[in-house]
Amino acid sequence: MTTTKTSSPVSAAPRGRRIQFGRFRDLTLVPVIVVLLIAGSFVDPIFLTPGNLTNVLQQQSALALVVLAEALILIAGKFDLSLESTVGMAPAVGVMLVIPVAAGGFGLELPGILAIPLCLLVGGLVGAFNGFLIMRFQLSAFIVTLAMMIVVHGLQLGLTQGKSLFELPESFLYLGSATWLGLPAAIWIVGALFTVAIVALGYFRVGRSLYAIGGNADAARAVGVRVERVVWAVFVIGGIVAALAGVLETGRLGGISANQGVGWIFMAFAAAVIGGVSMDGGKGTILGALTGVLVIGLVENILTLKGVPGEWKQLVYGSIILVALMISRLAGGKAQD
Amino acid sequence: MKIGPAATGATLLALALTLSACGSSESTGTGAAQPAGEAGATGGKVGIDFPRADSDFWNSFSKYVPQMATELGVDLMPPTNSQNDVAKLVANTQALSGQGAKVIVMAPQDTGAIASTLQSLESKNIPVVTVDTRPDKGKVYMVVRADNKAYGTKACEFLGEKLGGKGKVVQLMGALSSINGRDRAEAFGACMKEKFPQITVFNEPTEWEGTKAASMLQTRLEQHPDIKGVYMHAGGVHLAPTIQVLKAKNLIAPPEDPKHVFVISNDGIPQEFEAIRKGEIDATLSQPADLYAKYALFYAKAAAEGKTFQPGPTDHDSTIIQLPNGLEDQLPAPLVTKENVDDQALWGNQVK
Repeated sequence: MTTTKTSSPVSAAPRGRRIQFGRFRDLTLVPVIVVLLIAGSFVDPIFLTPGNLTNVLQQQSALALVVLAEALILIAGKFDLSLESTVGMAPAVGVMLVIPVAAGGFGLELPGILAIPLCLLVGGLVGAFNGFLIMRFQLSAFIVTLAMMIVVHGLQLGLTQGKSLFELPESFLYLGSATWLGLPAAIWIVGALFTVAIVALGYFRVGRSLYAIGGNADAARAVGVRVERVVWAVFVIGGIVAALAGVLETGRLGGISANQGVGWIFMAFAAAVIGGVSMDGGKGTILGALTGVLVIGLVENILTLKGVPGEWKQLVYGSIILVALMISRLAGGKAQD
Repeated sequence: MKIGPAATGATLLALALTLSACGSSESTGTGAAQPAGEAGATGGKVGIDFPRADSDFWNSFSKYVPQMATELGVDLMPPTNSQNDVAKLVANTQALSGQGAKVIVMAPQDTGAIASTLQSLESKNIPVVTVDTRPDKGKVYMVVRADNKAYGTKACEFLGEKLGGKGKVVQLMGALSSINGRDRAEAFGACMKEKFPQITVFNEPTEWEGTKAASMLQTRLEQHPDIKGVYMHAGGVHLAPTIQVLKAKNLIAPPEDPKHVFVISNDGIPQEFEAIRKGEIDATLSQPADLYAKYALFYAKAAAEGKTFQPGPTDHDSTIIQLPNGLEDQLPAPLVTKENVDDQALWGNQVK
């Protein structure tokens, strides 16, 4: 997390055998996913049907985007807890700028088509402000974003007066509820963004530089990476992606409740870390983070199908995540951090 | 990707603007509550703590409080808010009693952890009225809440009759750590077992979260496409996700259509009434936010004046029952369907 770290032996541009190792680390959760698929098919015959698996992907699409944003920030060696609050606040503010006062809006009544761009803009602004405090003010990312998590959620509560927003423009709900070519649009969007991120971090200089910065910021600076600028951009992108997660979630649920997104950050960290992304920066891949999301989604789905009693569900859920961590540790063969 | 000082300035400006906008709305809020407190003054000062700021039901309740205080002539202190945190509630209660409250109205969401606070208030001779929840231990002057067991039973009877006593229903439960969620779930389950044993009930622990409700309902409908009924414990959080899932499955149809899924909700907020009018859901149980506010303050005032009450029927269609640690006024909770959804007496039709 600190910018002055000097230890981590991570490379800006791995070659030869290192690439092999990186690939392997991506796939440590694959055995877990296989076990879950087999277990699930025993739990209920409906589990392996395309309909159910599509549902799992759709249900996890918003969380997947938060995990994507968090993974980018973690790889760059920083931290962002405020993403979960952006998931609720950005859509709420975007929508309130376009809906009439009677429905809970500000009364500006801008054209409905602007709601999504405004929402993404708000997310980007939160990210930019985080980046400003962390990179320019040199504050600790953990504390800054912890405070921002409270501030951003508080802003939503204050502006909406704690009310849920129900009357939303149709265009705002579209992305989260439409179907393209037989699959929910949300799945296509998430798939496309993950592909872009995997390619960018794998093959482009700016993307590769995230690993350099996360591994050793001073070394990265010494070889000419504009560390401040890149990390700041990552925070802005993270904010925008979290806002988009909010749009997808809103479309799926048909309304914005006052606590949308609250508590997600723990799931996002769990998914990123079991997927092999290091909390210390510089390690892990976007593909790995995606497998983490899939594990969490499959576990939730199996628990629901099985009808695990409510009072035991959290215990079972937490335990399965621990077991997944252990399996990925054994499969990966290297100490986790 | 140049982010220069100009962009920084713009970010700060935007944040400052939003913050100041937020601040101004808050100050008008307390400003509105203030005159209500000064209006009438009989008995003693009444302190009130709101349990949370992020729920539709409680926000309606907190809007009714200053209004009812004026009507009843209660000397209300500026309200505090404990944000669903029992530690904050304890601190707020101490502050209120320090500021000279003679009676305290609260809605402890954690009904166990409030016991020692109630004991210390009792030793200071400050009577406590609780709203919506019943403390497990510690003296209370009066508990004002709807009969949550009756909610569960009424929902069960409604669905049981509509389904003709057989089929599959889903219960979207609230948090099991709350007495209201538990009461509703237990009464619903017990009634189904007793009166409609051929109906299969799927219990979904949603923790009052819309996102969990949507995922669980969607998964369950995939597993059992012949589900014909849904009972939602809280309209505020479950309504929009449920309608969205049913829409996506193309299951919103008139009651005569065999595809129709019967949905009964709980709370009675305006959006549920709107959904009943549109035919998206069939019924709701109205949890009277206005009566909660009115009778909480009514009993607070009575406590300040030193009045006492006995168990038995009251003059407002409810019954007072004896608890080990005090009394409870169980307010009626009407069933709202398409027939009576436009009744102006329902609180959901009065909020704007």
